[in-house]
Amino acid sequence: MSKLTATRLETPPGPVTRHPSKKPLLKRIAGGGFIAALPFLAPALAAYVVFVIGPMVTAVRLSLFEWSGFNADPQVFVGFKNYVRLFTADPVFWTAMQNTIVWVLLSLVIPTSLGLVMALALNRPIFGRNLFRSVFYIPGVLAPIAIANMWRWMYNPNYGVFSELAKAWHIGDGSGVTFLSDPKVAIYAIFAAFVWQIAGLNMVLFLAGLQSVSKELVESARLDGANSWKVFRHVTFPALRPTVVVVLVLTIVHSIKVFDLVVGMTGGGPAQSSQVLALWSYSQSFLQHDFGMGNAVATVLLAITLVLVIPYLIWSTKGNED
Amino acid sequence: MINPSAPTAVAAQDKIIKDFEAANPDITVKKTNRAVDAHKDALRTSIGTSAAPDIYDYWAGPGLGGELVKNGASADLTSYYTQYKWDSRFTDAALGPAKQYGGYNGVPWKLNGEAMFYNKALFQKAGITKLPTTIDELNDAAAKLKAAGITPIQFGGTVNWHVMRLLDTFLEGYCGSATFDKLVTNQANWGQEECVSKSFTNLQKWSKDYFNSGFIGINNDESSSLFYTGKAAMALEGDWFNANIKDNAKAEDFGVFPLPTGTGRMYGFEQAMYITKDSKKQDAAAKFLDFMMSTAVQKETVGTFSTQSVNKEVKAAATDELSKSWDGIFKNAKGLYMNNDQNLSQSQTTEYWRIQNLVATGGLDPANAGAEFQKFLDSSK
Repeated sequence: MSKLTATRLETPPGPVTRHPSKKPLLKRIAGGGFIAALPFLAPALAAYVVFVIGPMVTAVRLSLFEWSGFNADPQVFVGFKNYVRLFTADPVFWTAMQNTIVWVLLSLVIPTSLGLVMALALNRPIFGRNLFRSVFYIPGVLAPIAIANMWRWMYNPNYGVFSELAKAWHIGDGSGVTFLSDPKVAIYAIFAAFVWQIAGLNMVLFLAGLQSVSKELVESARLDGANSWKVFRHVTFPALRPTVVVVLVLTIVHSIKVFDLVVGMTGGGPAQSSQVLALWSYSQSFLQHDFGMGNAVATVLLAITLVLVIPYLIWSTKGNED
Repeated sequence: MINPSAPTAVAAQDKIIKDFEAANPDITVKKTNRAVDAHKDALRTSIGTSAAPDIYDYWAGPGLGGELVKNGASADLTSYYTQYKWDSRFTDAALGPAKQYGGYNGVPWKLNGEAMFYNKALFQKAGITKLPTTIDELNDAAAKLKAAGITPIQFGGTVNWHVMRLLDTFLEGYCGSATFDKLVTNQANWGQEECVSKSFTNLQKWSKDYFNSGFIGINNDESSSLFYTGKAAMALEGDWFNANIKDNAKAEDFGVFPLPTGTGRMYGFEQAMYITKDSKKQDAAAKFLDFMMSTAVQKETVGTFSTQSVNKEVKAAATDELSKSWDGIFKNAKGLYMNNDQNLSQSQTTEYWRIQNLVATGGLDPANAGAEFQKFLDSSK
């Protein structure tokens, strides 16, 4: 019995080894039913090209032009001038870049860990489990702009909940609660709202992943004397690996394009200290009407996203062609 | 047109159109109302196309209306000014923005002034017996209020332009009108004018010592409640604020005085009705605007769109002390200095606000603020 259990622990479940097809691409296309599927794929493909690829190419093209957005105003080709300006003279770009990177890194740690912990806790048969699951999940379905408003009120230095708590605990008169007013703190104050919003979503994904963890394996490990931490480390977590990857990728995507919360809580302020790349791109194009610069920021954002997400896409589609 | 906030103003717009159409059955006027940002976007995408309107309502400052003039959106109305004698119909303050680009662009429609509202009881409590007439006297008043344990002035900083009003005022006061105009038109160097450093230094002093705490993280509606409830002594607002005070407090408890820059110019901005350059119905458009700004129509609508009319024949019906004070402010104004978000381009305005807020929150030495802004102006040329 113990020998059997030990063998199982030594070879934890992992991704099935896949052998990519050795057939030439054209033969694979002809033989794989691609041509037969084409009429069914064509409408979606056409929509994808028009509404996704087209705007992306246009954005990259516009990043090489100077244009105010007026039809009457000609688009002037300036080469890489917008990028040079962005990297060397834009007073906000590097702040936005730094905030975006910090946001992504913190997102990979805090809301994911919190989601996992909540999922592990609520995967047990405890009293009120379904209620807790719903309560933690609800922020994830609220509109981000509503969350932004809610947290802005909570942070209000005159009558927000934190200000009132400070008064109740005799920490000054509450006016010192200036989370959104402090350039050094504002981005983290917004991030707290993001954690509140996203942790429940991660929890749901982890809960789904936990359903695929083999109960027999867990049981075997326990019978073999493994404590809770060892069961988690050697059985549960390896089985959760595909879910973890999905959560991390989704978190990265959510983090990179964060926009609504920042707009709703600080508008990128004070003094652009909480600016992020997605909002800066929007501001340059639609508020400052500098479409060249706005699209240069968008192109940088696109490049960063592709660098982070393409490895996942390759990994997730590997072997599916067979 | 830009959406008016009050339903009565929408009704008044509709009545003007209806009356005009009744008098001119061969002309039909079709009106489209939009919110501020939607209006800016719509004009940006429609100007130069067949979707462009014949008349568009816009702010007259160089950063907004001026940009459209620069991009060939607006027709030069010199011949219509002669035909309809508009030059003698409008006040000097209202005409200035229409003439600033050479020729005549747009017909004055609404002129809003901004000034300092104050709480009479709090001023008295702080021992302020004379209303400030210079920036230094304003500084003294703020210091007295603070010494009396009163928050001297309220601001909400989330949308930037409220605090900007104070910075603009310091610039006008310390630099004088000629230098102010040179600065905002890129003819003077922000990094080399001592008055610029002085203005930013004063702004930092005010934000640190005289603003309500946490101002930059709250919006102006929230901070205005401090003023209505007597928790802050001053509010730098426009003539539209009369109505807000009446809605939220007792109007007789408050007064208003012109911003004490010493130049005599009033702080404010104008909205004008522009005729599109490509319009094929310019004559009909001009006829409608002539009707809209006529003495009869303006008499009927004064107080609906703004407290004062742009038509010099039309006097506002001042029914309370605040309105009477505004009459004096408009009457005594020797020209207009506009809000800098109207003077500067949108990207320059964004940077101006960034620097303003950095200084206000202690993140930038005021002595370097002018040079920092000039660096941006130079790099974006």
